[in-house]
Amino acid sequence: MKDSIYTYVKTGKRNIGISFIALAVIALGALPFYSDVDSFFAYYLFLCFVYIILAQGWNLVAGYTGQISLGTHAFFALGAYTTAIIWLHDVTKTWYYFDPLVMALSGLVAAIFAIFIGILLVSRLRGDYFSFGTLAAAEVLRIVILRGGKFTEGAMGLRIPGDDFTSMHIYYWTALFLAILATAVVYFLIRSRIGLALKAIREDETSAASHGVHILRYKVLAFAIGAFMMGVCGSLFAYYLFMINPLGVMNLNWMFLPILICLLGGNGTIFGPIIGAFIVGVLFSYGDVYVGQIHPMLSGIIIILVMKFLPTGIMGLKDKISPLS
Amino acid sequence: MGDIGLIVQVVVNGIFLGSMYGIAAIGLSLIFGTMRIVFIAQGAVIVLFSYFCFWLFTLLGIDPYLSIIPIIIVSLLFGLGFYYGLFKEAAALEDRIGSLLIAVGLMFFMENFMTVVWTPNPRAIVTSYGFYTFKLYGINFTLVRVIGLVMAVLATIAVATFLKKTLIGTAVRAASEDVEATSLMGINPNRVNAFTFAIGIGLAGIAGITLATTYSFDPMYGIDFAIKALVALTLGGIGRVGAAFMGGIILGLIELLGTYFVGAGWSQAIVFAVFLLALNFRPQGLFGGTASDKA
Repeated sequence: MKDSIYTYVKTGKRNIGISFIALAVIALGALPFYSDVDSFFAYYLFLCFVYIILAQGWNLVAGYTGQISLGTHAFFALGAYTTAIIWLHDVTKTWYYFDPLVMALSGLVAAIFAIFIGILLVSRLRGDYFSFGTLAAAEVLRIVILRGGKFTEGAMGLRIPGDDFTSMHIYYWTALFLAILATAVVYFLIRSRIGLALKAIREDETSAASHGVHILRYKVLAFAIGAFMMGVCGSLFAYYLFMINPLGVMNLNWMFLPILICLLGGNGTIFGPIIGAFIVGVLFSYGDVYVGQIHPMLSGIIIILVMKFLPTGIMGLKDKISPLS
Repeated sequence: MGDIGLIVQVVVNGIFLGSMYGIAAIGLSLIFGTMRIVFIAQGAVIVLFSYFCFWLFTLLGIDPYLSIIPIIIVSLLFGLGFYYGLFKEAAALEDRIGSLLIAVGLMFFMENFMTVVWTPNPRAIVTSYGFYTFKLYGINFTLVRVIGLVMAVLATIAVATFLKKTLIGTAVRAASEDVEATSLMGINPNRVNAFTFAIGIGLAGIAGITLATTYSFDPMYGIDFAIKALVALTLGGIGRVGAAFMGGIILGLIELLGTYFVGAGWSQAIVFAVFLLALNFRPQGLFGGTASDKA
């Protein structure tokens, strides 16, 4: 009896959850029909979706596998540059502007880079050293881009043709779609055998290895999937910027933001990065408008306060309030 | 390829530059060694002390080398404040990313604070003796750089002796070997950590004065400096004062020799490539011996 009530409550809770998510997605997807898509609020949402894609990529690697990567900006930039280079050199002979093929290729290039440095670093390094290694690899990539000559145009950057731009609609919807896709990929991956292996690695690497989990393969796999998401995100942002230069796409902000978002929301949870992205989005986009120059200072203080008083993030707060769930 | 005199000059300059990375790396090494905190804000702290030095010089007319005393006192207090105010809880956690992020937040805050207070324009201290150079065996020595090197070496020796000879220094060394065993021996980890932080930030104060007197600096220089110090630390090996200093010198040499032979733009890439190779083949550092289990 008690058991059936419990299951009833649980399924009821899940149904409410699913319908809430569906409603939120529909409301967000329909936003351009009842609100001006060129408004600042729509821009804020677009930025949040971009953050969600990046943060889910980082979440998969750090939250579920326990590998703190400091190379997000490298994969992001690689995606953006791949899109620009494919377009400018007319490689795929398709329509380029929001071309799924180009975006997928951008992700693929980032993933290949991730597999390369992943095998190089993951096979030998653990913990902090892995983090330093990814940071160093990203810095090497920055120099290569800066010194790339005609191919990357150095600090000037590449300019992609902006003739196709008509409205923000396609940006908004693509970003929303990719954010949902990235969340779904992480969600289903974590519930599969791969996810089980990843979590086993996070909890205890030696134990996981002794139970037959191929550590290197799974770590590199997670790293590459995460990099793929970041690469696609970079490609999306390249269409938004039109001007791809190291200052714009290799900014260290692109590395810090996903980390901040995941930790603020709750690292290693599905909804953590989403909540975190909306909050950080408010801080960074509205802060820029209302407090101007001092907003990065406030962001610094907020990072410190969050880490000091809320080290498990907002999703961790839930466990504190109701330890039964 | 090039004449020998010029290469020797480049080597000498590399040692001068490297000594600054070296003392920054010692601070990082101590903090990382005892608390496993990657104190990425070290560079921003160094630049902050450069600005303090700059202010003392321009507003009060205090000579940069005389300002060592107030700046060291202030920096030791800053170190204690950072530990008790920010890192105390995070240092006790198993999860290290929290403390890294606090450091990132601190860096964000300080960089932008300095941009607001001192504007983003690069600053430098111009003293009457700042451009004085002398020639020895055909090599040019700039006086302020020589003083910077001497200060760095003295600070390194002082810290190393302190860690060896005093009781609390022994406790710091013990904590960097094994934190749990140390606290089981009845050593209060909080005191050790706070002390380590104070020394680390104190060294940042000295590095700040050296930076202020020899190069120009701006608020955003910090992150670059912190990453360099991290590289120096990894090159030298974590846990030993002398090794971290040598790592800094090697980094300075690689950077300037790379600039000389390959060109300015590529020297950074060479630095990081050497860093990656060192991480791959000698993760315990070039001079490290016991740290192999930490990699």
